[in-house]
Amino acid sequence: MEEIKDKLELLRGRIPRAILFAIFCAFMIALPALIGKSWLNITVEMLIMALAACSLNLMLGYTGMVSFGPAGLYAVGAYTTGILLAKLGTGIVPAMIAAPIMAAIVGWGVGWICVRRTQVYFALLTLAFAQIIWTIIFEWYPVTGGDDGLVSIPTPDFFFSITNSYYFCLVLVASCIYAIWRIVNSPFGGTLQAIRENPGRVEFIGVNVKRYQLAAFVLSSLFLGVAGSLYCVFSGSAFPDYAHWTKSTDMLVICLLGGIYNFSGPIVGTAVYTILIKTISKHTMQWNLILGVIVVLLVLLMRNGVVGFLSQKLSRHR
Amino acid sequence: MLLQVKELWKSFGGLIAVCDVNLQVNSDEIVSIIGPNGAGKSTLFNLITGHISLDKGAVFFKDRNITSMPPHEISSLGIGRSFQKINIFPRLTSFQNVQVALFSATGLSRSLFSKAKLLLSEKVQDILESVGLADQARTLGGLLAHGDQKRLEIGIALALNPELLLLDEPTQGMSAAETAQTTELIYRLSKSRGIGLAFVEHDMKVVFSISDKIYVMHQGAMIFCGKPEEVRCNEEVQRVYLGKEKDSAAKS
Amino acid sequence: MNTVQGISGEPTRLPCETDSEVNPMTLEAALGQMLSGISLGMVWFLIAAGLSIIFGTLKVLNLAHGSIYMLGGFLCYHITSTLSPTPGVFWIALIVAPLLTATVGGFVEVLLLRRIYGQDMIYQYILTFGLILIIGEVCKLVWGVGYNTVAAPWPFQDAVSLFGLAFPRYNLFLIGMGILVFVGLRALIGATGLGGIIRAVTHNREVASALGINVPVVYTGVFMLGCWLAGLAGALMPPMSVVALGADLSVIIDCFIIVVIGGLGSLPGAFLGAIILGLTTAFGLYIIPKLAVAFGFILMIIVLIIRPWGLMGEPD
Repeated sequence: MEEIKDKLELLRGRIPRAILFAIFCAFMIALPALIGKSWLNITVEMLIMALAACSLNLMLGYTGMVSFGPAGLYAVGAYTTGILLAKLGTGIVPAMIAAPIMAAIVGWGVGWICVRRTQVYFALLTLAFAQIIWTIIFEWYPVTGGDDGLVSIPTPDFFFSITNSYYFCLVLVASCIYAIWRIVNSPFGGTLQAIRENPGRVEFIGVNVKRYQLAAFVLSSLFLGVAGSLYCVFSGSAFPDYAHWTKSTDMLVICLLGGIYNFSGPIVGTAVYTILIKTISKHTMQWNLILGVIVVLLVLLMRNGVVGFLSQKLSRHR
Repeated sequence: MLLQVKELWKSFGGLIAVCDVNLQVNSDEIVSIIGPNGAGKSTLFNLITGHISLDKGAVFFKDRNITSMPPHEISSLGIGRSFQKINIFPRLTSFQNVQVALFSATGLSRSLFSKAKLLLSEKVQDILESVGLADQARTLGGLLAHGDQKRLEIGIALALNPELLLLDEPTQGMSAAETAQTTELIYRLSKSRGIGLAFVEHDMKVVFSISDKIYVMHQGAMIFCGKPEEVRCNEEVQRVYLGKEKDSAAKS
Repeated sequence: MNTVQGISGEPTRLPCETDSEVNPMTLEAALGQMLSGISLGMVWFLIAAGLSIIFGTLKVLNLAHGSIYMLGGFLCYHITSTLSPTPGVFWIALIVAPLLTATVGGFVEVLLLRRIYGQDMIYQYILTFGLILIIGEVCKLVWGVGYNTVAAPWPFQDAVSLFGLAFPRYNLFLIGMGILVFVGLRALIGATGLGGIIRAVTHNREVASALGINVPVVYTGVFMLGCWLAGLAGALMPPMSVVALGADLSVIIDCFIIVVIGGLGSLPGAFLGAIILGLTTAFGLYIIPKLAVAFGFILMIIVLIIRPWGLMGEPD
């Protein structure tokens, strides 16, 4: 009887959320008819960044691992696709499949070393690796184009239409985010959260913590690779900056802005961040300054991000 | 014999934390370990469960040498443990706290695609009930009262279906009523499930009410072991405790 | 003028006046490189020392430390160019700039950092990253995007002939300053009462507090000391190089490498690490310029794996 009551409660909580979600989906599907091309462009960028942020948050918010290296794996994805398309002339499908695989392999190697250590040492290790990846991209001119990057990457005609690109991204990003959703709500995801809460304790419920942290690292890298690959195809280019540690901090800020302890946090964070940057940079050249101030205020006043803040307010009203 | 600790030695730098300690726990026994602060009791537990490496000696669980095993392997063998400092998962609910331990025990931790929310919920509820937290299943661990957190710790340890429970100060910080409740709880758990129990305690009422055997530690060494009545009458034990009280009175 | 893009991204003047084809490393060239590397290392030591002390005592990894250094450089340029005809203007800047950066540090610690002690590290990183953005943009607003130069002060203006090479006297002065500051810091922390207080707080915050030490004030003081050191480095660097934006990001990476190699929290470690990185960079640039940048990171990774507390740090 209790179980039935519980299930009914769950459904009741779910219905308004399900309706909201359905509206959101309808909105996203109808978007190209609603907004202009430049906004559609921006939306595609947001979708890709949202995927990258969700991938990072798998490590950050769910497993408690602060990494300065997500941009490195993102760039590996982008350059894998870019090199395959531009230098080796492969088709779009293998180029895009190879990217997450490559990113996962690199992530596995890098992650294996990084999880040997924790906390600040882990963060510094990820930073070192990200910079090494950056250096390799920057210096390996014949393969990566070095400082010039890869430009005018041949992509199928399909992508000339922004509407096509949008739907392609939407489907791919939505599938990946759904996959991440399933992962964090699985027993594996629950174990990751326990590791975030108290890694020492988790050792003592029979879990090999390092193995799970490595798994989180690899999964995160895989999806980052997809995001990088998508961006390469969408923008037709790849640059060393994709791997720079400041891009990693952008991703960290986005996650924090939305809220690292909520699944939708990185997605909301991407939207807020993009809107902020677009509006601020219209009015002033000093958007870095304003962003810095926002970031500082965020850490001091709204640590759980926008979503965290809102859900606290909402639960108080219930 | 469930747990056997033989001639255990551990020193940190120049400080000897545990010296030549021997200990035995049988599967139907409740054993307590007492001693003044700094006697090495928690260190002893940490050595047994593999959290720190020992210098000399061996630890046997069910006749199997577990001396150099890592903690996650030792706990899979059937040893559950609670900690002196509260060691739960604060941002997970009580339900989730126990559930994640059950995932590990049932090998489900690796499952990437099943939905975790209601998985194993009957077993989780059972455990929460047995530690008296059934009505707090949805409360976040970090928001529980201290006594409840301590009991949640025991719940987490139970999820692994242990044959041996090591509890480090299970009634620390509890009120008299909570202490009595918890004491009764661990006694019942041990006797009804046939779990061997070894616990570290400072509260002598608890120690003397449920222990089958008491070990007394002082400055890293096991100075006495015996039944409660024997311990009560032992002069050296009294001296150690009374002497320590005089010392700490002098310092403060 | 022989300038090469160094690991910091800023042009560094190498003292070699060799024939320009690639020649095998002669002894003189090697020694020249070594001195060059060490003088660069000395500046890095000052920054890294500040970072290390801050981490050791406050347990905060200050990402904005490079920004403070850059600010020190801009302040030095500002003072020297504003007060220009006055003699000894550089020495005035050398004294004032670090004091100003220390003050900035004081405000940052009291108003901002204090609120995030004891919280998850992510907040520290993001907060100090926000400071990088703010300080960087303020520098850009005030001093613009160009390169600014500061002339070396008398009596260090020309070059000395060492091992058959012309070596800037100023670089020798830098080496001297580095050693002087190192010795001074060691004396301060090792031998004075104040140093004892800092050590006590570093070792165990709760115990120090129980002994009556005003820990928040010590924290502020240590942070200010760290920023003073970064500002000093910033003021010392311009005559050897240029003052420009972007130094904040590049130098902080070098500092991380140094403090990891030397040991987070260890002062002699920072000294040793700085020398190692300085030498590695100088020789690396000479031998394989393309990959020289990666050497530092590889060293950092090796140390983090084998001995994470660094060459001279202590395991927790």
